[in-house]
Amino acid sequence: MAANYDVLIIGSGAAGGMAAWVLARAGARCLMLDAGPLMDYDKQRVMKAVCDLPYRGFGRPGRFPHITQASEFDANLWADEKQNPYTYEPQDPYYWVRIRAVGGRTLRWGRASWRLSDYEFKCGDHDGFGDNWPLSYADVAPYYDRVEPMFHVTGRNEGLPQLPDGKLIPDNSRDPQSVQRFIDACTRKGIPTTKSRRAMGTLASSANLLLPQALDSGNLTLTPNAVVREITVDPGTGLADGALFVDRRSRREYHARASIVVLGASTLESTRILLNSKSRLHPNGLGNSSGVLGHYLFDQFYVKNVVVAVVPEARGGKGSRGLMGGGGYIPRFRNLKSKEKNFLRGYACDFGGGFTPAAKYFPLYGGELLRELEDVADAGFSLTTMGESLPRFEHQVRIHPDLKDEWGMPALHITQKYTDNEYKMAKDSMETAAQLCQDARFQVIATHAQMAPPGESIHELGTCRMGSNPKTSVLNRWNQSHDVKNLFVVDGGSFVSGGVQNPTLTILALSMRAGEYIVARRRAGEL
Amino acid sequence: MQTILAAPAMPAAAQSTSSPAQPAEAETPKLAETAPDAVAGVVRRFFTAEQWAAFEKLAELIVPKFGDRPGAAEAEAAGFLDFLIGVSAPERQALYREGLDRLNADARKRYGRPFAQVSPAEAKPVLKPVTEAWTYHPPQDALARFLREAKEDLMQATVNSRQYREAVSGRRRSAAGLGAYWLPLD
Ligand SMILES: Cc1cc2nc3c(=O)[nH]c(=O)nc-3n(C[C@H](O)[C@H](O)[C@H](O)COP(=O)(O)OP(=O)(O)OC[C@H]3O[C@@H](n4cnc5c(N)ncnc54)[C@H](O)[C@@H]3O)c2cc1C
Repeated sequence: MAANYDVLIIGSGAAGGMAAWVLARAGARCLMLDAGPLMDYDKQRVMKAVCDLPYRGFGRPGRFPHITQASEFDANLWADEKQNPYTYEPQDPYYWVRIRAVGGRTLRWGRASWRLSDYEFKCGDHDGFGDNWPLSYADVAPYYDRVEPMFHVTGRNEGLPQLPDGKLIPDNSRDPQSVQRFIDACTRKGIPTTKSRRAMGTLASSANLLLPQALDSGNLTLTPNAVVREITVDPGTGLADGALFVDRRSRREYHARASIVVLGASTLESTRILLNSKSRLHPNGLGNSSGVLGHYLFDQFYVKNVVVAVVPEARGGKGSRGLMGGGGYIPRFRNLKSKEKNFLRGYACDFGGGFTPAAKYFPLYGGELLRELEDVADAGFSLTTMGESLPRFEHQVRIHPDLKDEWGMPALHITQKYTDNEYKMAKDSMETAAQLCQDARFQVIATHAQMAPPGESIHELGTCRMGSNPKTSVLNRWNQSHDVKNLFVVDGGSFVSGGVQNPTLTILALSMRAGEYIVARRRAGEL
Repeated sequence: MQTILAAPAMPAAAQSTSSPAQPAEAETPKLAETAPDAVAGVVRRFFTAEQWAAFEKLAELIVPKFGDRPGAAEAEAAGFLDFLIGVSAPERQALYREGLDRLNADARKRYGRPFAQVSPAEAKPVLKPVTEAWTYHPPQDALARFLREAKEDLMQATVNSRQYREAVSGRRRSAAGLGAYWLPLD
């Protein structure tokens, strides 16, 4: 007879990995299920030349219609779109980007790590749109303080209210001249800049930073290839008592049992599991007495290469390391003190240089094109906009009436689109970025304000949001279900708003916080 | 000729007999292998003879040989794209077919000859759309849209070719197109 675990953790990425790190080390007997395989990061990858790949680096046509990040090198890493289908209205495409393997998307994340501030946690108070979080920056700060050193986050503290200082490994590197010139142009306009904040190491993943220590405690059992379909409920108490899962390879079904269930299967997968967990006591999905589960889906919109420029002095092979390379970050600066623009909230920009701009930007062909490309080698400078998208009730996920995935689990239908507020912001960011490049005496060669479809930023958030009112939210301030006290959702689903900051640092901090709350409540005999 | 190391193909049972002090991998001979396009030529499957002739010509004009770097012709970029477009979505296939037919029709109208037989100077007005400023959204006109896509595809197919790698390797590691390839997950 299989054991009854103290805690069942679903998902092994940032969210699930951190929950396991806290709970297993605090003595809770944990079972972790992940839908994907366990792999050896070093053995799973071999060096190859692009010309030795069967599609010369183009990849098999049609394999990943929604994953712009996939290349022929890493195609085998991404969740297969045919095995894991989802739908949307044809005019509003949604790009859902998933990795199913132990470690989740932290195996490939870009490691940009920013704190949220009270501009996000108390956003409703600030500008009247949407709801506040049921917690404030001061509640989360102590957890950020601990997560940053664990993930070796580098960067530079600036004392900005919209970008709280962190416990960072100081980045005091000198900026190349082109970057310095760009920063000076920003400073003259009163626009703040800082160094990128990034977790260090080629792999800064749950798989190497969280799971090994959790397993070392002896209290964590890790079972890969376990596709969770449904959380089961004790019909007497209405509490969660485990999960039904399917072995990814054999399709055999199992039932795992635990006293507490922690969901960290990623924003949309966790919500999908909850919506699929219907019972007599929870007819609209588990923890959904409010009817809000699945609603308020948002992310950040990206305008990739909103401006591409050439640094004139770097032409002709003069892009030395003193001149080119490096980069930085413009934190949100719009609408902080008052509403100064025709949109709410704001955007951030990544900037950097030292690459060769793509051939498509030059209205040339033949020898002229190749000469120009040679001339601008390493002389490119570009910006990418990351803007806040507003959480709206009508942006939601539902269970598809017929479509199922390879393992028989009903699929999601996703509805999200960008609205006037996001479009206005994108346009403002394009105009501002182009002006800054001109002020820095760069030659602007291309601008656009077209955001990638929702989802493409891989920062999907909301749909299982927290709040103090059980009628308008799914979770309380501890990532705990209002309806089902032994159920926790610790991934990005809990977000009430997201700002412009990449979310993973906050997911990690909130999962750590929820984990310690569970430990404390168990000690108090309440869970 | 470029070779890469093959994964060992020894049966698992053979490894259990070796002593733990000596890693089994060390004894497994590494076999040198060569990818097919280094040992065999192009078989055209997708374009008609006329489209193909126009495409080869276009490839040469868009990405010519440049110094010691091969152009699209040397890199057999058109032959590779005949294969790639042939296994692509119908919309992309139509874009290429119609685009090449338009090139031929345009050349015939101007010079009474198919595109393959025009001089570089004569090709200039036909290829005018390539010299228009970049916009995020692809142009409305089918020929302009095709030329824009073909330019990117031909560049990439050239730079990612074996011939290009051999010409530039030793100069710049990144240009040689090395990367970490993820093996299939079980
Ligand atoms: C290329 C790339 C770049 C990124 N860059 C950044 C960045 O710079 N900064 C940043 O903050 N974020 C970045 N992200 C996003 C970041 O990876 C995610 O925010 C983070 O991994 C989310 O953690 P998670 O635990 O919620 O989900 P995931 O990491 O996706 O983990 C979810 C896990 O749950 C498992 N799972 C899913 N469904 C089931 C099921 N039914 N049963 C069992 N298990 C299941 C999956 O197999 C997976 O292992 C990036 C992502 C990618 C792909």
